[in-house]
Amino acid sequence: MGLGFLVGFLGFLILIHAAYSTIQYRGLLKITEEEFSGPPLNVVIEVTLGLVLCMWAALTVPGKFLSIHPDSEENRIVSLPANLDFMIFNHRYKVFSVELDVKLKH
Amino acid sequence: MAVHSDSASSGKKSSNGPNELLTFNAENMQNNMKIIYYSRTFLSIIGGVVAGILGFTGLKGFVFYLLLMGLTSLGLVAKAGFSTHTYFDSWNRVLLDGFLGGLMSFVLFWTFAYDIVHIF
Repeated sequence: MGLGFLVGFLGFLILIHAAYSTIQYRGLLKITEEEFSGPPLNVVIEVTLGLVLCMWAALTVPGKFLSIHPDSEENRIVSLPANLDFMIFNHRYKVFSVELDVKLKH
Repeated sequence: MAVHSDSASSGKKSSNGPNELLTFNAENMQNNMKIIYYSRTFLSIIGGVVAGILGFTGLKGFVFYLLLMGLTSLGLVAKAGFSTHTYFDSWNRVLLDGFLGGLMSFVLFWTFAYDIVHIF
């Protein structure tokens, strides 16, 4: 979880740096009076790296998929108390209290 | 004994057959959908920033979004271990849900990044 956040943040920082490089590149083009035909190679590489890191983060940070089959291994224990028929409100003291009352009366 | 267990399992299967769609854990299903929405929204925001930095205009950006969402779907299916039916009731959940909602954030961040990088 923490690692995923860190990787996503790193990817975002790389993207911001790529944006800054592109702004500088455009400033350079303005000085040399050329037309913008496409981003420079280092920006493309940075953007790809940032996108890959962010994709990894986006796929790992939200958590794990849980099985939706009611009879799968990890759902067995959880689904038993979810069914109200299996709830038991009896306990040992219920039997005990009667005997205690009887004892106290005597 | 073998015959008895065989008939029992076949009886269970036939009774399970018609309402197979109804018997899944809705809570876990909701959890899985939340994960999908999270991934898609985050990746459409990042994709919008990338498209803006690379200077895509017009149809190119939408094609980029389509490619990105395809890649995301592939990643989600890989995350589910290529057995989508243990985690989702249909393929549309993985492939289509959150597509249009993500498109809105994509366009927003696309224009935002494009304005910052290329216009100002």
